[in-house]
Amino acid sequence: MVQEHGWRRRSVLGAAIGGATLPFLGTARAADKPPVKIGWLVALTGANSSPGIGFNRGIAFATQVLNEAGGIGGRQIEIVTRDTQGDPTKAVNAALEVVSQQRVEFLLGPTNSGESLATEPVTARYKVPSLLYSVVDSLVDIRRYPYYFRQLPSNTQWTEAAQNYVLKVLKAQKVGVIGDATGYGTATLQLAASEFKKAGGDVVYTALIDPNATDATAEMQKAKQAGAEALLVWSDSAGLNARIMNARGGIGWDAPMIGHPAMGTGIVKNLLKQPSYWGKVYIVGYRSTSFDAGGQLPARTQDFLKLVGDKVKLSDTTLWWVACGYDSVNLIKWAIDHGGSSEPAAVKRAWESLTSYPGIFGDYGYSATNHNGYPTAEVVMNAADSFKNGAYSLAPGY
Amino acid sequence: MKAPTALRPAATIIAGALLLATLPLFLNDYWVHIATLAGTYWVLVSGLDLVVGYAGMLAVGYGGMLAVGAYTASVLAAKAGLDPLLALACCTVTGVIAGIIVGIPGLRLTSFYFAMATLGFAIIVTQVALAWGSLTGGGIGLAAPAYADPFASTGGFYCLVLIIDALATWLVWNIASGNPGRALIAVRDADVAAEAVGVPIARLKLSVFALSGALGSVAGGLFATAQSYITPDAFTLDLSVLFFIAVLIGGRGRIVGPMIGTGLLTLLPEIAAPLVAWSAFVYACLLLVVVLLAPGGIAELLERLRRAPPPIDRMAGPEPEAMSAALVSAPRAAGQLALAEVSRAFGGVRALDGISLTLAPGTVHGLIGPNGSGKTTALNILSGFYAVHSGRIRLGEADITRTSVQARAALGIARTFQTPRILGEASVIENVMLGAWRHAAASFGEVALGLPRFYRDERALRAQAMAALATVGLAAWANARADRLQHSEQRFLEIARALAMRPGFVLLDEPAAGLSAAEIENLGAIIAEMRRLGLGVLLVEHHADFVFRISDQVTVLATGRVLAAGTPAEIRAHREVVHAYLGA
Amino acid sequence: MIWASILVAGIATGAVYAMIGLAYNVMYSTSKVMSFTAGMLGMLGSVFGALFIGVLHWPVAAGFVATLAVGGIFGWITERLSVRPVLRNIDKHLYVLSTLALALMVQQLAAIEWGTEPRPFPTLFGIGHDLTSEQYWLPVIACIIAAAALEWFYRGTLAGRAFLAISEDARAALALGIPERRMRVLSYVLSGVVGAFAGFVGGELLLAFFANGMMLTFYGFIPVAIGGLGSNRGALVGGLVLGLIQQAANYWFGGDMVPVVAFAVFIAILLAMPRGLFGAAAQRRV
Repeated sequence: MVQEHGWRRRSVLGAAIGGATLPFLGTARAADKPPVKIGWLVALTGANSSPGIGFNRGIAFATQVLNEAGGIGGRQIEIVTRDTQGDPTKAVNAALEVVSQQRVEFLLGPTNSGESLATEPVTARYKVPSLLYSVVDSLVDIRRYPYYFRQLPSNTQWTEAAQNYVLKVLKAQKVGVIGDATGYGTATLQLAASEFKKAGGDVVYTALIDPNATDATAEMQKAKQAGAEALLVWSDSAGLNARIMNARGGIGWDAPMIGHPAMGTGIVKNLLKQPSYWGKVYIVGYRSTSFDAGGQLPARTQDFLKLVGDKVKLSDTTLWWVACGYDSVNLIKWAIDHGGSSEPAAVKRAWESLTSYPGIFGDYGYSATNHNGYPTAEVVMNAADSFKNGAYSLAPGY
Repeated sequence: MKAPTALRPAATIIAGALLLATLPLFLNDYWVHIATLAGTYWVLVSGLDLVVGYAGMLAVGYGGMLAVGAYTASVLAAKAGLDPLLALACCTVTGVIAGIIVGIPGLRLTSFYFAMATLGFAIIVTQVALAWGSLTGGGIGLAAPAYADPFASTGGFYCLVLIIDALATWLVWNIASGNPGRALIAVRDADVAAEAVGVPIARLKLSVFALSGALGSVAGGLFATAQSYITPDAFTLDLSVLFFIAVLIGGRGRIVGPMIGTGLLTLLPEIAAPLVAWSAFVYACLLLVVVLLAPGGIAELLERLRRAPPPIDRMAGPEPEAMSAALVSAPRAAGQLALAEVSRAFGGVRALDGISLTLAPGTVHGLIGPNGSGKTTALNILSGFYAVHSGRIRLGEADITRTSVQARAALGIARTFQTPRILGEASVIENVMLGAWRHAAASFGEVALGLPRFYRDERALRAQAMAALATVGLAAWANARADRLQHSEQRFLEIARALAMRPGFVLLDEPAAGLSAAEIENLGAIIAEMRRLGLGVLLVEHHADFVFRISDQVTVLATGRVLAAGTPAEIRAHREVVHAYLGA
Repeated sequence: MIWASILVAGIATGAVYAMIGLAYNVMYSTSKVMSFTAGMLGMLGSVFGALFIGVLHWPVAAGFVATLAVGGIFGWITERLSVRPVLRNIDKHLYVLSTLALALMVQQLAAIEWGTEPRPFPTLFGIGHDLTSEQYWLPVIACIIAAAALEWFYRGTLAGRAFLAISEDARAALALGIPERRMRVLSYVLSGVVGAFAGFVGGELLLAFFANGMMLTFYGFIPVAIGGLGSNRGALVGGLVLGLIQQAANYWFGGDMVPVVAFAVFIAILLAMPRGLFGAAAQRRV
């Protein structure tokens, strides 16, 4: 019912794959074995729901593909989706519902950091193997949350990639750091500024901007006056990102902007005063989903796109979101296949023995002491204005 | 006869509490969590009910209180290493402070302004939490306190919430059913009446804001633990709106209604999961429907079902002899109440122009004159609602020219209003008990905690109010809603309320207007008894015959000046008066 | 250069706030009701402007007229649904709740149907660039036009004078034979037009974004509180002051402090001058 609702909400997406009907098809075909229930907490509506919608497409697609091929060990996969709207209170309610009432065996999400921070301690005691969908570093804590694994890179990996690009490729020493006045923005601003100083760079200007501010011209002028050679921008607000680019272009400044992937979405593109303002904007991306100099994606990704065909709409989302969602379900299948059962302890052992899983999004590897599975080397910078079919080109210098 | 009716609610409460306490035995963690959340919200809503439901202050942004408490508990537990229960107790302190911060603008701002200010408060709290990263963890947030056994488990924590729920309900119930509750309803529905009986409105409002702040903050402390981790984005506008609507759906001026409302609103999004994207829309719809169709909320609907039929003998005869019991002790002879050379203008119009007038204890002073002659202005100046521009007001030897309405009430000056100012949604006897406000001994805190003095007060005030109602002939209506009285009966209700103040002086503003001949007779008998018992009565009236019949002294006003003054016989003979006013 | 941009952005946003303040005042004049829907009018102005011109590619003039019509219709709905039924008990302040409910419903509908991400508002004329671009001067000119038109309406037309009469003393106006209800409906339609006009001209600055509704309800009310309820002159001054204060606060204290400073100004002014700069005197209570 809920899945169905999620799809109906975005009727465009509903046409892409009949995700809603999957669990019913599944139970009809393999009624003898109980399905593998996977709880999926995701902001499908409300502010900042774009990534959730992208992940969701990948998860639904993987479920469809695997179920058609017989499921996992003969068991069909059932995704129990709950729309959290980015609200931590709703997320906690939904998390408890899927673990204690639906008795799911795996948990994916939630997709916002504030939600993940709240649901993790609440669900920890149920020992449900979970894949985190949030970049906040502190979420991975093997001692307190032994059943939690991260599939995404961490926030530190993101800021490091951006800062390495500024220092090593752009050879800029002086930066301005900008964040929006939200939870994510304030926290990442601090992290990025202190890391940059640690790496030997010079932070000449920092600013927190109200995500609904109408204008960022004053901030751009101040940053320019302070002598910034590049800007690190950490905001997931499309409106603010576009306004910053408009202000930068408006004062005729061309210092590169490096930072959050939200700067590369189609929403930002629509909000720009001139297409050229999107130039010299570099966003965090992944080697697996980046076009190389020849305009080619890595071979494994090309195969994935062939598999996808036109079953998943990519033009209005980001490829890595879809790939990541796709990998999640396959990682679960891998754990059950290799651990021998879906028992939490077996799954945990299986994942911890995983040295390198060749996913579409990246090569994941975990160990008993490391639950951050995404390799740092895979995190690269993309050129924001190179968006095509959900993917970006590598930024110059790779 | 009495025992079973008293036992039934008690039995219901005990059975309800037992049922609630055993929920964790047969529900899974998810439902226990939802119940915990509802219980947590109720701690806040119970206090908000006093503010919104009783005092009628439109405090929309109480999600801010939740945030204050959540951060207090979490910061004290995480950064200062306080025991979680101690940290929860500390929430009351920050809650009282936050409550007063919200309350102070509430003393001056009217409805919409105040609603805006509280919304602003909710925004500010989360912005401060965001900006004050060193303490609150900023956008990353911080872990909430985890309780030790026996409150560590889901069920254990739920029981802690239930205990605090019981405590909060107890406090709020006491306040609501006692003197402060009646005064709050008066502030909401008839603030001038509240002032006239001497309710210190500002102090009362601040006490209620402090209490509701403390409860909201404690709820926040519990909320943090239920959530396990708090970030500023947990405190959404939707949450504030939910609390507010819970009170309104439940029914203002009630307790059980809002309790049901809180439960329903917490449960609604869970049982209607497909509606998640529409939940905010549904809340708003509910609010509109309630406001338009059932402004009294669930409580009023329930009440309508079991409303008692009106007494058969609609207006029993008054029993003026009961008045001495209503006044309890003989009125103090504080000397004469006098206006000396008093003037007052509104804009350019001189409503009163140097009038003098004396009201002696044990006499009836009639004040007559054509419309706009300044009669009611004189009464408002005597009771303190208007300030004078020149001249003095004296009570015995004391100069009370600058004394506030409330202080004059304390000096024994009672009044009624031209348009009765009654508490329509409260019972008749509660309206009268409001008049006895000053004669209760228990403080706000004593009432809240239900200390013995509170019960003694209630018994004494009730007995006194019954006597006052018997005096005016409304005893049979004591437990009916006041708005079911007819207009003329409401006038007598106001007189009963004035008597409950145990006044030395009673100022009656057109008490005979709209009364039948028989009722005017009754009124005359009541006023005569007031005089006999030594009260000074000022009678502002249009019915000249009635005034002449029962007054000792009559003053005639015309265009703000004294046209004539003297005994009824002298005035009747006064040529100018006869010519200008009596028209004979 | 920095000061110029602070000034220009402050005046432009201030003009939008001031126009929302005007919408508040127009509704207040005939009904003594302050409505939470005032900011929603602005949001609808941006969203429908973007829909008609940006998405459906209507000519600018047609899109403009249609947007104002939508505002007028929403004003009418506001009166019919959330004001008229509760006006009988105005002392109970039920209108605060009914208009809040309607405002939340509209905001949620916009979020669901239009989306929760800001969407672009089309460039209307394409005159000027940077600090002289139309997103800055358009709201200012529109604000002056709106204020002047309202002034003309109040002083120079029969209906306008009827508004003023109702505003002064509704009962006396009724006794004089002024059709009070029809005037009230008219005032709500007019306020809808003014509010949608604000959203339309402020669209390029604010973008077509559902959350602008609550933001404008709040920031559009502060000018009214500063200037005094019912005073259009006050709303203009108040809007300008608020716009500049916000920009200055953003510059000196950072973006996270903007709401805090705006709120502090609001409370300070109300406590110091409860009737605002140009507000009417209090009414008698007894």
